[in-house]
Amino acid sequence: MSDVFNLLLLQNTLRTATPVVLCALGCLMTDQVGIMNIGVDGMMLMGAFFAVLGSYLFGSWLMGLAFAFALGVLLGLFYYVFSIKFKSDEFIIGVALNILAGGLTVFLLRTLFGVKGSFSGPGIVPLPTLDWPWLERIPVLGPVLNGNTLLVYVSWLMVAGSWVFLYKTPLGFHLRASGEAPEALRASGKSPERMKRLASVLCGVLATLSGAHLSLGYLTMFSENMSASRGFVAVACVIFGGSNPPRVFLAALLFGFIDALGLRLQKYIPSDLTSMAPYVVTVVMMVAVVLLRRRRQSTRSLAS
Amino acid sequence: MNTGFVQSVRALVTLKPKQKLTAQYLLSLLIAVSLAFLVGAGIMLLCGYDPVACYAALFKGALGKPRALGNTLAKTVTLCLTGLAMSVAAKAGIFNVGGEGQLYLGGLAAAVVGARMADSPAWLIVVCALLAAMAAGGAYAWLPGILKVKLRVNEVVTTILLNSAAIYFCSYLANGPLKTAERGIPSGTDSIAAAAWFPPLIRLSSLTTGVFYAAGITLFIWYLMTRSTAGFEMKITGTNPRFARYGGIRADRLALWGMVLSGMVCGVVGPLEVFGLHHRFLTTLSSEFYFDGMLVAMIMRYQPVGVILMSFFFAILNIGGSAMELSAGISSEVILIVQSVIIFFMAAEGGISEMARRSAAERRVRRAARRAEKEASA
Repeated sequence: MSDVFNLLLLQNTLRTATPVVLCALGCLMTDQVGIMNIGVDGMMLMGAFFAVLGSYLFGSWLMGLAFAFALGVLLGLFYYVFSIKFKSDEFIIGVALNILAGGLTVFLLRTLFGVKGSFSGPGIVPLPTLDWPWLERIPVLGPVLNGNTLLVYVSWLMVAGSWVFLYKTPLGFHLRASGEAPEALRASGKSPERMKRLASVLCGVLATLSGAHLSLGYLTMFSENMSASRGFVAVACVIFGGSNPPRVFLAALLFGFIDALGLRLQKYIPSDLTSMAPYVVTVVMMVAVVLLRRRRQSTRSLAS
Repeated sequence: MNTGFVQSVRALVTLKPKQKLTAQYLLSLLIAVSLAFLVGAGIMLLCGYDPVACYAALFKGALGKPRALGNTLAKTVTLCLTGLAMSVAAKAGIFNVGGEGQLYLGGLAAAVVGARMADSPAWLIVVCALLAAMAAGGAYAWLPGILKVKLRVNEVVTTILLNSAAIYFCSYLANGPLKTAERGIPSGTDSIAAAAWFPPLIRLSSLTTGVFYAAGITLFIWYLMTRSTAGFEMKITGTNPRFARYGGIRADRLALWGMVLSGMVCGVVGPLEVFGLHHRFLTTLSSEFYFDGMLVAMIMRYQPVGVILMSFFFAILNIGGSAMELSAGISSEVILIVQSVIIFFMAAEGGISEMARRSAAERRVRRAARRAEKEASA
């Protein structure tokens, strides 16, 4: 079993968790303003495609990221207009976004690149891996932490950044207020709609960047439906982590660990069962968090 | 006279649920569909195709030949069942997004029953297979249902995740323990007894006698939703949950049963595919059939009659799309884009028409003010 449980497992955990971390952070932003955006899966998929497109057209990973970023802003605004401005059912809009993403990416894949299934090639420039000698010197974990692709480090910064943003800045406070007490926010002269727009755009950008990591960092290719329900796992992580960035990060890491473990156990267990594991574990996690919360509440009420 | 009888007749008439599909809503639907077709035409033009030729190919490919019509009708049946499954759950106040997984499990259960009972009479095989499929689909829907009702675990997310779990689980069984010994079949279960196959109604098309079972289920659900006590309770719970609670309706139990029923209907779609088309369980049993049906249900606001009609329209788009790809050359995914545009507009219908009404009212006020000003100055 030493070929399964080693440092490489941790490295794979980081790699598989990163798209979920970024996407979950995005989903968390809308969750804080009271919208459950299940369209993040589609946003991730479109982000993955446009990142590859930008990278391929301009021969630069930076343009890939720029494409994903611009798309994220657009999708965020689009989501805002439909779910807040037009007051549509956020759930229906989310599902429709996912359908649109599936159709649009495959359509563009066939029309622009003339291929079916997946597109890979030397023309796609992947995200760079960063090499920091000082990280390498950390005992045991050094080789795991060092040498990851750019967005892995960005995602860590984002976890800290979004926590600071949400809980330590006035803007973050207003953003949370627009979900919890929109009337109070309006009374204080701030527009809840604008906060919701901000959250929606942040969500779009983070979700498309997670897609960019998927297609330029994790792999260097785009394949049909490559998000593989990771967006939904991200939504589950947000619920599991109670919309708190560090907790959501831990939930995503747990998912990444199960996923990576499954990949490495394929020698011993049929691959279908190992692919099944992350989804089952996520559901179990969602149930566990409710049970734990209940228990805590009941002990608290006993104590008082 | 027998006033009791008169009263109950009157009660039945007044209880008759009003269709929420108002004329205005249908008009919006027409506009949304036209807009979506325009968007599709724009994309076709951008890619250098002739939209008129493409759409002609689409409709011809879906309705032109008896065989094509058969395929379209078969697709209608699938969409209709999945759409009604979604509607039953949604009307009961719970979302079932896990129909895909329930469909797979139902198909697998039916395929196993169909293969193991090879010596029994055909009718018994079919009945047992359908029951097994219902049990499998219902049980798999019960799980997220009970989690929602007892623990308030978000059912949208659990059902979506359970989809992936079920599909992988079925493909594990079909590639592993239940894999057929027949040669030339890379993955799939044993073939079911030939006597129990659903024969096609139109030659070479995928429209089989399974459509009769589907019609039976559709009728049952329509009755349940529009004419039964449970349907009435669903309606009240859906429109005013607080009133429903005061009225003594147990919303949780209703939601749970709505979910289970929805799962059972999804489960039945599996055997229709297995007995009609593949004659065994294949890992490619469905390609997101449930999601298409779900959208149909959402667009038609979960009204059974509307779902049935809209299913036919979406089936035309779906079957015609592949024909269009073959004859006109444009990738059939453009149809998915068209469909999602319809959904976006229909979901936003209320908001957009409200905004239009408000801006029209504002304009009227402004015009009146200007007229009053003019009169005052004159």
